[in-house]
Amino acid sequence: MSVPGTVDASQAIARARAGDQEAWGDLYREFAPAIFRFCRRALPTREDAEDATMEVFMKVRDKLHQYDSTRPFTSWLYKVAANHCWDLLRRRKIRQDKETEDLDTLPLEHPDASQLEQLIEKRTSEEVRKALDKLPARARMALVLRYYSDMSYDEIADELGVRRAFVGVVLLRARHELRQALEGLGTLAVGGAG
Amino acid sequence: MSSPPGTNLQNTGTPHLDEMTILLYLERQLDRARAAEVSTHTQECSSCRLLLRALERESRLLTRAMLEEEEPLPARLASFQQAARRSLQWIWMLTFGLAATGVYALYTSYIEPVQNRLQDAGFGGTNLLGLLIFQGAFWKGWQSMISLVEVLALVTLGTFTAMVLRRRLRRGSMLAMLLAGMCGVMLMPSGTTATEFRKGQNAEVTSSEVIKSDIFLSGDRLSVDGTVEGDVYAFGRSLDVTGHVLGDVIVFAHDVRVTGQVDGNVRSFANNLNVSGTISRSLTSVCEELTLDKNGKINRSVTSFADRFLLDGHIGHDVLAFNQRLDLRGQVQGDIRLRADVFTIESSAQVGGPIHYKGSKPPDVSPQAKLASAVDYEHVEKNERHGGGVHYYFWRLLWSGAFILYGLVLIMLMPQFAGDCIKSAENVGASLGLGLLVGISAPIAAGIACITFVGFPLGILGFMLWLIMLFSAQIVFGGLIGRWILGPTEDKWGRVGRMALGMAIIGVIVPLIHYVQILDLIFRIAAMTWGFGAIALTLYKRVAATPSIPIPPPIAA
Repeated sequence: MSVPGTVDASQAIARARAGDQEAWGDLYREFAPAIFRFCRRALPTREDAEDATMEVFMKVRDKLHQYDSTRPFTSWLYKVAANHCWDLLRRRKIRQDKETEDLDTLPLEHPDASQLEQLIEKRTSEEVRKALDKLPARARMALVLRYYSDMSYDEIADELGVRRAFVGVVLLRARHELRQALEGLGTLAVGGAG
Repeated sequence: MSSPPGTNLQNTGTPHLDEMTILLYLERQLDRARAAEVSTHTQECSSCRLLLRALERESRLLTRAMLEEEEPLPARLASFQQAARRSLQWIWMLTFGLAATGVYALYTSYIEPVQNRLQDAGFGGTNLLGLLIFQGAFWKGWQSMISLVEVLALVTLGTFTAMVLRRRLRRGSMLAMLLAGMCGVMLMPSGTTATEFRKGQNAEVTSSEVIKSDIFLSGDRLSVDGTVEGDVYAFGRSLDVTGHVLGDVIVFAHDVRVTGQVDGNVRSFANNLNVSGTISRSLTSVCEELTLDKNGKINRSVTSFADRFLLDGHIGHDVLAFNQRLDLRGQVQGDIRLRADVFTIESSAQVGGPIHYKGSKPPDVSPQAKLASAVDYEHVEKNERHGGGVHYYFWRLLWSGAFILYGLVLIMLMPQFAGDCIKSAENVGASLGLGLLVGISAPIAAGIACITFVGFPLGILGFMLWLIMLFSAQIVFGGLIGRWILGPTEDKWGRVGRMALGMAIIGVIVPLIHYVQILDLIFRIAAMTWGFGAIALTLYKRVAATPSIPIPPPIAA
């Protein structure tokens, strides 16, 4: 992950830590769009994402002194955002996900690659986003952590509260559910979802 | 499969690799040896190679779909940058502070002087509202609480000022300023000196002792046999006041006995309260059994929420009581306002003012009792008063139906606004704070505006808006409850369904807690304030919105 835009993040962070409000404004301008997009992907509604973005930056502001400057700022930022969004989802208990124990039951299959290809080929990014919205919270969050914020399996395990060895299963199950959702948008069933 | 697939990478009995293994290979999660095996296999097996490519494409599609900028940064996030410079928590603290200051200022500036004049003129507030809210004797005992609110309001405002000014201040100087402020508050002249604390199995003030300050007592058996020149705050199983308390007594205990003298008020939350001594001011009691003995004397008023109240002693002013049963044997110089099931006036009773009694049974009045006037009795069905009658439920049902219909119209007319209101209600602190502030200040502002000729229409409009918001507040609260249960939705009918569910739940809760009258009131006020604040917050967000700004490029994943 790299720092976007033109602001020198490390300098801005150092200045923001010293109480420079302009530096804080720079950081917000620089990273708010990415964090909003993260929240938009992870949470069910746009309103939720807007509120969460503001709350994440409030937390970041309060916890900026805890940031370890030897690590990438964006990683830390995404971690704060992920913690916040996941807490929010858990508090609401929206759409109960299958528990960790269920992960054992995922069958090991070899799906038809051509059907999968066919499904992917016909789908636009917008359709994928729509399908993502239909996923249970855990599945969606797992995909967002992995494919949006590029988190490692260890970080995802830590975030979702599952054993590291199950992260692959969570991701594969999420993909299956995504395929099912895409099928619901009008395509053929693919893979061993279920 | 008993172990995670990432660590038990075996072929599934078919000549092909399973999807899990290929995904882990793609994500570089396999150990080197296993990765080499998979690599070799995919070079030889076209089916597995195709699946690998398909999964790879799926990963790319996912990343692309997620990183794509399909919508601009919302306007309020763009404008939030300014707001983000200070924590919103301070704004809500300020809101609470202002609300508390407003209530206090309202009381001290307008109500207290009028009430003092009325009292000087010989009118002791005798109606229910007056007795509960405006009567000086009742308020006097809460003076310390008002002072607390005042100090909290000052501290809040001071802290907020410090936060605003901190751009110009270094951390050290801000700390110094805060400390100086705190010292200032502590140096302010105070009505009482340092407070004393005592706790233990038997916490007591012995008969030879004189405590020159307030005292906090906590423990199993508490007693005040000596003299306390300040107030007594007691938390324990039992409290005996046999000595002399010059201030107030505020007690939470199972058994309370006052056989000595209290120059101030007594506020008691106990199972049994027995007064056989003298209370120079008023008594407020929430208890199961309240007994004012033959020798007991209360110079001012009594407010009682009790199961049974035996009044055998002397009360200088009025009685306001919500009891199951009141047995009157002693003297009451002022009025009696009573809601009870059983009311008995015995031959030794004397009452100087009118008696207003609401109950399910007529009072049992002894002909020998000396009453200033006949009992003004209003018959109330027992089940109706307790929220159990058919009539009551019919009206509750009608009201709930009317509210749901009103909510339906609102959601249909303004779906986005209604959704935003319910969403705002999830912000508990902000909603309650703003609800309290706007709920109190808006009608006052409208009233002030009405005084001027030019502001009259504005005042009326403001007041009408306030009323509409007040009526809509319950809908928002119902919508919030529905949202908690069924989860959020963007669908118009989904919102209607959630609101209806929430209103139905409120419709069930209110009759249930109606049995405890004060709880019913608290619930209604809280729900109203909450919903009201959520509407105000949404209106504020709408007003504060600014145009969208272009979105910068995403963070590369």
